[in-house]
Amino acid sequence: MKSVITTVVGAADSASRFPSASDMESVQGSIQRAAARLEAAEKLSANYDAIAQRAVDAVYAQYPNGATGRQPRQCATEGKEKCKRDFVHYLRLINYCLVTGGTGPLDELAINGQKEVYKALSIDAGTYVAGFSNMRNDGCSPRDMSAQALTAYNTLLDYVINSLG
Amino acid sequence: MLDAFSRKAVSADSSGAFIGGGELASLKSFIADGNKRLDAVNAISSNAACIVSDAVAGICCENTGLTAPNGGVYTNRKMAACLRDGEIVLRYVSYALLAGDASVLQDRCLNGLRETYAALGVPTGSAARAVAIMKAASAALITNTNSQPKKAAVTQGDCASLAGEAGSYFDAVISAIS
Repeated sequence: MKSVITTVVGAADSASRFPSASDMESVQGSIQRAAARLEAAEKLSANYDAIAQRAVDAVYAQYPNGATGRQPRQCATEGKEKCKRDFVHYLRLINYCLVTGGTGPLDELAINGQKEVYKALSIDAGTYVAGFSNMRNDGCSPRDMSAQALTAYNTLLDYVINSLG
Repeated sequence: MLDAFSRKAVSADSSGAFIGGGELASLKSFIADGNKRLDAVNAISSNAACIVSDAVAGICCENTGLTAPNGGVYTNRKMAACLRDGEIVLRYVSYALLAGDASVLQDRCLNGLRETYAALGVPTGSAARAVAIMKAASAALITNTNSQPKKAAVTQGDCASLAGEAGSYFDAVISAIS
């Protein structure tokens, strides 16, 4: 799974050389920023349920009849639960990305093939974009986490939003 | 290939759980001791040629039959192959130590090594002994308790756990080939 360290080791291995001074610098740079990432991961693991619930409420407030307007919310309760389940799923992968320091978990476990799946299931990606945009504006420093941690978290939310666009 | 961080992500994903306080504690200590780890990797990679040639010379001294006709490293061609393999093993151990995870060593170096050595007729007992010598030399270099001329000008710190971690990767090599 792609991270700074595995990238460095992979490059060193394909050249059959020991880790060089510049490899060490790359890893050192990643380690320096890791404390903020882990802080964001810790806060997210404690608060993901509330974050997802707020996003679901925002989506249903914005699109009471679905993003395309063609799907009346016949089973609003079930729909809300599924919507929240999906947001929690993405938040879990963002949690992994924060720990790993790369976008590998999101790429491998969600983004690859997501457009095809949502198209086949007739789910409008705009609904998700609305929810993630809400999360993007929901986080607040220093109330929720430190500024550097919030930047790392928001960067990954932006990454997901862009992948759905 | 995984590192200490992505290992946590993979194991958490198998149960669909978030990575929270308990699992993050070990990663925080990985970060706190990050400079020690880089120094340890540097200690191995800067002295690689020395560690490898000492280990191969060591097995030849301990077992003079190795250099005699029909011995494991008889002919320069076999000796050169032995030195090359020692360096490859040490290189993958240094990768594993940098990543904090043995997966790169297991997947790219040890997988199938026993079968390869059996097919080539490599004496695995001597190969395992050479790895054990490299393990001892690396531990001395990491904890800076090696003999005087090679001492690194670094601040003295407690690197025993890193030396132990490197030792566990060498042990994985030994158990994979013997």
